[in-house]
Amino acid sequence: MTLLEIKNLKKIYTARFSNQQTEALAAVNFSVEEGEFVSIMGESGSGKTTLLNIISTLDDASSGEVYLDGNPLSKIKDKEISAFRRNTLGFVFQDFNLLDNFTIKDNILLPLVLSKTPIEEMESRLPPIVRNLGIEAHINKFPYEVSGGQKQRVAVARALITKPKIILADEPTGALDSKASQNLMEILKGINETGQTILMVTHSIRAASFSKRVLFIRDGAVYHEIYRGEQPADEFMDRISDSLKVLSTRGEQDE
Amino acid sequence: MNNRFFSSLALRNIKSNKQLYIPFLLSSTAIIAMFFLMVSLMTNKFVQERSSSLPTLFMIGVVVIGIFSVIFILYTNSFLIKRRKKEIGLYGILGLEKKHVAKILFFESLFSSLLSIAAGLLAGLLFGRLVFMLLNFMLRMPNDIAYTTSLLSVGATVALFVLIFGITLLYNISQFTFANPIKLLKGKQEGEKEPKGSLILFILSLIFLGWGYAISITIPDPLAAIEKFFLAVLLVIIGTYLLFISGSIFILKALKNNKRIYYRSGAFISISGMLYRMKQNAVGLANICILASMVIIAVSTTITIYLGSEETLENRFPYEHNLKLFGDMDYVAEMNNRFFELQDEVIELTEENGLEVAEMESYRYESFFGNLEDGSFVFEQSSVDGDLPVLMMVIPLQDFNGMTGENYSLADDEALFYHSTKTYLKEDLSIGNKTYSLTEIENEFSADMALTESIALVVPDEAHLLDLREDYMGQFPESTHITVDAEIGWNTEGTEAAEKALAEQLESEYNGVSGSFSRYESRDSQREEWYSINGGFLFLGVFLGLLFTLGTLLITYFKQISEGFDDRGKFQIMQKVGLDENMIKDSTKSQIIWMFILPIVIATIHVSFAYPIVRKLLLIFGVTNDMTWLMTFIAVVIAFAGIYWMIYRVTSKVYYSIVK
Ligand SMILES: Nc1ncnc2c1ncn2[C@@H]1O[C@H](COP(=O)(O)OP(=O)(O)OP(=O)(O)O)[C@@H](O)[C@H]1O
Ligand SMILES: [Mg+2]
Repeated sequence: MTLLEIKNLKKIYTARFSNQQTEALAAVNFSVEEGEFVSIMGESGSGKTTLLNIISTLDDASSGEVYLDGNPLSKIKDKEISAFRRNTLGFVFQDFNLLDNFTIKDNILLPLVLSKTPIEEMESRLPPIVRNLGIEAHINKFPYEVSGGQKQRVAVARALITKPKIILADEPTGALDSKASQNLMEILKGINETGQTILMVTHSIRAASFSKRVLFIRDGAVYHEIYRGEQPADEFMDRISDSLKVLSTRGEQDE
Repeated sequence: MNNRFFSSLALRNIKSNKQLYIPFLLSSTAIIAMFFLMVSLMTNKFVQERSSSLPTLFMIGVVVIGIFSVIFILYTNSFLIKRRKKEIGLYGILGLEKKHVAKILFFESLFSSLLSIAAGLLAGLLFGRLVFMLLNFMLRMPNDIAYTTSLLSVGATVALFVLIFGITLLYNISQFTFANPIKLLKGKQEGEKEPKGSLILFILSLIFLGWGYAISITIPDPLAAIEKFFLAVLLVIIGTYLLFISGSIFILKALKNNKRIYYRSGAFISISGMLYRMKQNAVGLANICILASMVIIAVSTTITIYLGSEETLENRFPYEHNLKLFGDMDYVAEMNNRFFELQDEVIELTEENGLEVAEMESYRYESFFGNLEDGSFVFEQSSVDGDLPVLMMVIPLQDFNGMTGENYSLADDEALFYHSTKTYLKEDLSIGNKTYSLTEIENEFSADMALTESIALVVPDEAHLLDLREDYMGQFPESTHITVDAEIGWNTEGTEAAEKALAEQLESEYNGVSGSFSRYESRDSQREEWYSINGGFLFLGVFLGLLFTLGTLLITYFKQISEGFDDRGKFQIMQKVGLDENMIKDSTKSQIIWMFILPIVIATIHVSFAYPIVRKLLLIFGVTNDMTWLMTFIAVVIAFAGIYWMIYRVTSKVYYSIVK
């Protein structure tokens, strides 16, 4: 079943002090099935973050539409947008975005508190998630007291705790070393195997190789996509890097 | 690298941290202006000349504001420096030596202190001049009260604040020289730690507050009140800071541990935020609370004094016309004759002026100083010794019955007895060679008797007065001042012009004539002067009220602005994970209890406990009516709560617009 469908998405930024316009997204079309794990790759400035922000309802499209479960996101009322974000989406950011004034536990519970979830419900959801992510021992610490990898796992826990329809991750391994990245990706893969849909933007071929499908974006449009199928991880990695090479050389030829 | 380099770097730092420095400089300027105004008031001519207790009270004010300034600037500075830790930590990592960082900090301090001291002095001068002009106009002062400043007050202000800024500089340098760069880079993220031994701090705060309150409650008389007022104020201020620091952290932690309260969106955000900067939060709230108490006391007392002017006049001058007769040691019989002659004389004079005597009171009396010791009153020579002796007024029964309309009769060893503190519980009292069996009566005498511990003793006849004097003289042969004096007071009915004429005639007849041993005072002619003095008090009270309210405004503003910038990033993150604007409003709302109710409630408690001591102080200014003071007090508390509510609303809108 199709969970997310993106149709003809276009985004034009107008600079604040001039009429200069940047076309960040030209015409993006793709869809994500329920239970999929999709990576989006592309050069810097190709519009990946812009795309993710529009799907996250953090930004508006200039034209085109995003459908979640068949419902257009642009029809959600302003008042409901925060609740929608809380209840249906889970976010993982490159720079963690944890709050220093909350303990790890409270950081994870934040979206539930905002949704006015009963305390019993919150406390029953927390233990399995933190155990899975291996941050059980740290839940009473503050963010500045744990490592970067642990912080990102906290962020994943915060995204998971609302049982979102889809997890949106923007370069989740961007601030992590290779070991912590590996660890995080294994966790995301495990989560996906329990049926959780994940859409992730990444620069890392290794990270992308954990997903089931990779989309390549160039000049604001989906240019190419490859499926992992039954391939082992290193073969899939080679295919991804080949595609990237093609992508950049074609780019040069175009100019 | 020379000083010019560092000074220009410092200047650039200040400019690039505008967001932090503007509120800091503004509030430092305000506090400097406030202190400067207070010092100037202390040396003001009106304050110095109008009442002997005013300079003392203003001295207390200066010291309180001084202490307040130290705490306030250290508080705002810690706020500032905490948010700059990362930036300055980078200097270390980029290879600047600690010595050089210290130099940069020095220039930053130099510039910001120069700027705020200069601006503070100027603002103080302008504010003082302007508000004095306005108040002179609005209160229709008969004689304008001039706002004056002296080189001395400028000097004192500059000296104090150079010192305070010096301390903040040392503090800042120590922050950076003793911390490692990594810790500095994390500086802004790390929450404040709970102060060590907060339970001890809490107990200490209760001790300080209890001590301060106890001084107020147990204060015996107005003169002691002046002496102890400062100590009580100081104790309560220290107690307030400790209470807020330990108590607020204690309560916040308890709230955090209560899951049902804590895990609700509004409380969740605000409680964690306040715990994150618990000390700053506590000091900020304590500042507001102290200022609120000062506003309430300054304004309510002076309004009471003003409203009580008429009553004060009546206390000081019980009758429209008052004649006092000074006795002479050697001519007691003459004095007695004169006492009766004079009564006839003034009645005649009154009637000659076409007026009728409506009411008249006259009595003779003798005053002693001494102490109550185990059933007897022991004479003391005078009141110069450290311990204040008790004042005793002895009145013959004939005069007492005459003045009160009562019809007591006394045997030779009986006396009527009034004691202001009502602490003497024995049936008998020995005085000199006599022992009287006592019958207790109420204060039928002057309201001034309640000012210090006093006794009134009504004895069977004048002979007892003379006997007591004999006994006294036997003990202190050199003493010259024990005489039988007399008061004659009467009201008249008739035209105003006639009243005036009578007053003038009496004045020329009995005053200023050498060797006349009498003094005449008319209530009407005292009234104008009395109102101008009390108007002056009201003026000062309103001025101080304005000043402290402005202080409250600035502190609240500073708190909201700086916390707003501090919290902005957090709210942005929370919005990303689904915080909506209503919830931001919710969380600012749940701060109301803290920001609004807590300081006001505690200030009200402080001021309520200050009631006894302030009441005693008011006695000095002739106010004896508790009702007036209670009503004004309640009105001022409500009015200030209203004003603070507006301040709170406006500044929390500012906060909201920053974090949104
Ligand atoms: N707020 C904005 N205003 C104007 N132009 C913007 C804005 N945000 C992004 N852009 C432009 O839109 C284009 C796409 O930016 P986007 O951030 O989506 O790239 P990206 O693929 O995420 O790059 P990277 O891999 O470096 O994160 C870029 O050319 C960028 O300069
Ligand atoms: Mg990006």
